[in-house]
Amino acid sequence: MAATETEVKAWGGVLAAALLLPGLQAPALAETAPEQAEMAVKLLHYRDRQPGFDRIKVTAPSVYLMVPVAGRWSVEGSLVNDSVSGASPRYHSAVSGASRLEETRKAGDLRVTRYNDRDAWSLGAAYSTEHDYRSRSVSADYRRSSEDNNTTWNVGVGFSDDWIGSSNDPTLSRGRDTTQLTAGVTQAWTAVDLVQVSLGASWGHGMYSDPYKFPDRRPDRREQYTLMTRWNHHFSDWKATLPSSWRYYADSFGVRANTLETAWVQPMSGGWTLTPTLRYTTQRAAKFYYDPVYDASLGAPFPPGYTATSPQYLSPDQRLSAFGAITVGLKVAYEVAPRWTADFSLEHYEQRAAWRLGGSGSPGLARFQADWLQVGLSHRF
Amino acid sequence: MWSVHRHAFTAMASPNEIVLGGVDAGQAADACEIAEAEVRRIEYKYSRYRDDSVVSAINARAGRNAVAVDSETAQLLDFAAELHRQSDGLFDITSGSLRRVWDFKAGREPRPDALALQLQRVGWHRVSWDGRAIALPQHGMEIDFGGIGKEYAADRAVAALRERGLRHGFVNLGGDIRVIGPRPDGQPWVFAVRHPRHDDQVCARIALRDGALATSGDYERFFIAADGRRCCHILDPRNGQPVRHWQAVSVVAPLCVAAGALATMSMLIGAQAATRLGMPGVGFLLVDAGGQVHTHDPEQLLQPPTSP
Repeated sequence: MAATETEVKAWGGVLAAALLLPGLQAPALAETAPEQAEMAVKLLHYRDRQPGFDRIKVTAPSVYLMVPVAGRWSVEGSLVNDSVSGASPRYHSAVSGASRLEETRKAGDLRVTRYNDRDAWSLGAAYSTEHDYRSRSVSADYRRSSEDNNTTWNVGVGFSDDWIGSSNDPTLSRGRDTTQLTAGVTQAWTAVDLVQVSLGASWGHGMYSDPYKFPDRRPDRREQYTLMTRWNHHFSDWKATLPSSWRYYADSFGVRANTLETAWVQPMSGGWTLTPTLRYTTQRAAKFYYDPVYDASLGAPFPPGYTATSPQYLSPDQRLSAFGAITVGLKVAYEVAPRWTADFSLEHYEQRAAWRLGGSGSPGLARFQADWLQVGLSHRF
Repeated sequence: MWSVHRHAFTAMASPNEIVLGGVDAGQAADACEIAEAEVRRIEYKYSRYRDDSVVSAINARAGRNAVAVDSETAQLLDFAAELHRQSDGLFDITSGSLRRVWDFKAGREPRPDALALQLQRVGWHRVSWDGRAIALPQHGMEIDFGGIGKEYAADRAVAALRERGLRHGFVNLGGDIRVIGPRPDGQPWVFAVRHPRHDDQVCARIALRDGALATSGDYERFFIAADGRRCCHILDPRNGQPVRHWQAVSVVAPLCVAAGALATMSMLIGAQAATRLGMPGVGFLLVDAGGQVHTHDPEQLLQPPTSP
């Protein structure tokens, strides 16, 4: 009997054989690795303009590829090649004296993610280069889900090392290092409501002055903080989703900005999805931004009382001014064939001093408009 | 704070239910429709009671020629072949033809010569299966997916629900249960296992957050012979006799199709069941011929019986 006892083996092969049956899923996992590879090609066209003056045009084709590896891993990467043409105002919204620019930017990034049952981590690297600017960065992220899958926490850290040159000044060669931290929590509040809160902070050291603006002297340290809250609500009757978010931004330059964004994601019959979006930003100016009021004897672009040494920091950069801005957009996606999706999106941005809330906008600036048009095709396989 | 939506329907000759939590009524109704459609798809494809099913097509060609099958059927046949190999021939999808000589309705045992003749038409080892085409060599041989078909349907229905984002609920096809995920509050669902001799009594409660539960018992179809022996519908393919060692076997496993196969194999193997089922991720409850309950419960799933 003892001999037969030892021959009795457990039916361990039954579970393994069952997992080979088609269309069955492994037991519930919070962090699931992608099962299909995805490839996407996109073409982005951007242009911005001010009254009577078309400023910059950018054309940027890009490719993206994500491949699942060995069930628990994914590797994804993208490449983009921008061609920028146009002119940049050298101060405020002045047109005269604007320098022509024609250049290209090449950028790529790679990310590897490992999925475990309850958590996932990823490591990424990115590189971007153009003739007067180069950026290299690495990042690491970790996220974890609760037992009931209703809560997900994430933390991330990133470092970037930038180099700044100038086509106007071949001798310029400066660096900038930035450290970023992010932390967030996502909670399934009800079956149809998802809320997320995330915090971000970054500390940078190096050159922040714009080599194409004059006079432009900015501190060589910048701290930036963001608080982002999101709320996605699903309307079952309409089969639609309403994502909304509020973002607060503050930095050591004195800029404070609030952004409200909302969209309506409406799937329709025949494989169409329509997504109109609306975004509003209101911003306080940096402490050292100066209005386009110029020194009586030196004239533009020098602020009143300008000397080579004082004030210590100053910038005429319109992006650091006080303003309000509205973006309206529409995205149309269409499932051309199973696993093939084409999308088309259009966004229009308009920035005006008068649209600032909670204070007056920076005076004397022309309104600024920009348009994004993107077409893409993606395929899962 | 949370509510559940229950959808009941009859398919595969069983009362079935789909229970979903954490979604509103509209989403639940849409999801149940899809899951029920998947169950019916499998029923139509594999029912031996439907002339247009894949199983009927294979059986109709018995003793004549091979039938090429689609990839889903091929994978199910591969699974059945593996169960046959693992169980040393006890789990056999050709044993259903023994029903022709066992009359459970009339409560009549077969004559020994009739049983011996029918046993010649039983045995997966006689079947020619090359992974693409199947041939039953003798007229009167037949296959059926009893013991795995309903369980496979429960797993597939859950896969369809999970794909739609459902995270809370379960699918119960006539007592073969696959869980989608825990209750919306994170607590497990609790399933009662009926007593094999008293259908109004519960012999255990099993709490599951995921995974599956399947039960095989001698009480579904049976008769008591003149000498008092109980003859149930689970027949040993080697001698054509009803199993007698266990009254019922319940198995908890990650997939319903594995739980169902293991429960049936345990009924057939008898005394060795506890050893054979001793593997990680599997819990079980055996009720022996005397009504005694034996459990193996590494994950503390079973709870003591409570009075009805």
